[in-house]
Amino acid sequence: MAETATKQEEKEALFSKNNRRLLTDPLDDNNPITVQVLGICSALAVTVAIKPAFVMSIAVVAVTAFANLAISLMRNGIPPRVRMIVELVVIASLVILVDQILKAFSFDMWKQLSVYIGLIITNCIVMGRLEAYAMANKPWPSFLDGIGNGLGYGALLIIVAACRELFGKGSLMGFQIMPDSYVGNGLMLLPASAMFLIGIIIWIQRSRNTKLIDIS
Amino acid sequence: MPNLNSNNYTVIYVTIMTVIVAVCLALAATGLREKQAYNVELSNKKDILKAVNLDDAPDIEATFDQSIEKLVVDVNGNVVDGVDALKIDLKKESKKPVEERNLPVFIYNNDGNKSYILPVRGFGLWDAIWGYVALGNDLNTVQGVAFDHTAETPGLGAEIKDNPSFGKQFEGKKIFDEGEFVSVEVTKNAITEPEHQVASISGATMTSDGVSNMLKKDLGSYLAYIKSLK
Amino acid sequence: MEYLNLFTKAAFVENMILAFFLGMCSYLAVSKTVKTAMGLGLAVIFVLGITIPANWMINEYFLKPDTSIFGEDLTFLGFIVFIAVIASMVQLVEMIVEKFFPALYTSLGIFLPLITVNCSILGGSLFMVAREYDFSHATVFGLGSGFGWWLAIIALAAIREKIRYSNVPAPLRGLGMAFIITGLMGIAFMSFMGIKLD
Repeated sequence: MAETATKQEEKEALFSKNNRRLLTDPLDDNNPITVQVLGICSALAVTVAIKPAFVMSIAVVAVTAFANLAISLMRNGIPPRVRMIVELVVIASLVILVDQILKAFSFDMWKQLSVYIGLIITNCIVMGRLEAYAMANKPWPSFLDGIGNGLGYGALLIIVAACRELFGKGSLMGFQIMPDSYVGNGLMLLPASAMFLIGIIIWIQRSRNTKLIDIS
Repeated sequence: MPNLNSNNYTVIYVTIMTVIVAVCLALAATGLREKQAYNVELSNKKDILKAVNLDDAPDIEATFDQSIEKLVVDVNGNVVDGVDALKIDLKKESKKPVEERNLPVFIYNNDGNKSYILPVRGFGLWDAIWGYVALGNDLNTVQGVAFDHTAETPGLGAEIKDNPSFGKQFEGKKIFDEGEFVSVEVTKNAITEPEHQVASISGATMTSDGVSNMLKKDLGSYLAYIKSLK
Repeated sequence: MEYLNLFTKAAFVENMILAFFLGMCSYLAVSKTVKTAMGLGLAVIFVLGITIPANWMINEYFLKPDTSIFGEDLTFLGFIVFIAVIASMVQLVEMIVEKFFPALYTSLGIFLPLITVNCSILGGSLFMVAREYDFSHATVFGLGSGFGWWLAIIALAAIREKIRYSNVPAPLRGLGMAFIITGLMGIAFMSFMGIKLD
């Protein structure tokens, strides 16, 4: 995540305090996965190894940002009664368009990404942020909110993926880390292990950040 | 500002949106269809060549045209004329009654050593998986395989394509046991018959089972053809 | 018998939540009490039971090249049409719930519209296409998956209601425990995988 940190520093002058919070809040206090409970399904599916988690994170950052931007621009014209259909159709058609173009012009990349298309369209983060933020806010903050939430999602994904790959396969990013005598932990390859890991991450996060604790 | 809640506005809005979206997508799809079909065919050719370890050739098209012979047979082993093996959609074939199916065969002739490359298709965890199995001159020993998939889980089921060591296991396996067709089984248990079993991908049981099933089912439909060659 | 098998398979062996881990978000967020879980579960059964046959017909008669009345290959529209059908069904459910069960409507909050992107619903439609079911199988499959989803969310909600009396470390209470319980339930459901029903 070093890359993002520098990016934020460079642009900081342009950003008001509130806008900056839009980027940083989802990384911790308002994390889409551990606090808002959005985007869990895909978090389970792509976290067996770091590489797919990374690809998915980048794709989600791009899609949430641009979907937020598009819907925020359209927000004053959308009839409330059909708002969900409009939101989804706009997002899905953008994603499908990209999918079709990639399939025609960059087939190898399409092969890599096509698996994620379904996961992205149905990723509740996209829809959740549209409903919760972009429908009521100006385009620029919405765009930042999209990026922030995408990054918060990506950060968690990569933590979980790193644990699963290290203990499940004994490697990181495909490189063998553990000694050859290490027998991969089969549990870590099951989606259920991602549930345990996220549960533990929530535990750690909430012991640090006590205001998030569920009273009920 | 129009009344956002009025029926007229809602209907007009939805209609205009549908038309715009439909036109955009239809244009993209029809405009790009040929290129996409070409890409898919190229990728299939590449997979076929991969089964006989030729996929690192610089020009896939030329290599394919030069070295691969295509033919189509039916379930009784008779050659069917007038059908292009590359154009056959296995998904459609699998829905026809067995007797009417067209079965593509690709033959690679390496200085008299023929390899028979047979396509297979089945289901993994999420969606379709398919592949090509190259059988050696004896029509029994597997020379190589190339698997592909639509949407298996990256890092688990997708390993059938991404992890070369999974495909490598198939090399040298036999699909017949003393003349009886047994196929090659992907198993998560200990391997008891090293000639007919390979190890599954841990964590991807459904995909591994899918590979077993498609090999058994689809290679099985070539039995008559294989017999006629022997 | 065949239909019973398919139903059981969709509800238990291939349970949307506990075997495929689809539809997690609303599952975890709306499982605090059995009552709201029941409401959402029934809504999911309804939406799955309606959208899968509806999408089946659309796929068969409009999208697939061989059987379509247009004779064109429109499968690239699949995603978007399925989603539009699902979104309209959910919007319908939302309006009904808002009108007749206002209390439930408030407690479901954002998660009612989110049924639209509940991965299990679109997943159901896509599975139906990928597995090439016919119409009656598709309907049974939809109902079975919905039932499985309902069962899973009720089970989790019941556990969560009881676990409130246990001495769970404070930071782990609520959501954290829900994740861990779901993981354990998922492992328990893996035992169904050995059952072969075809």
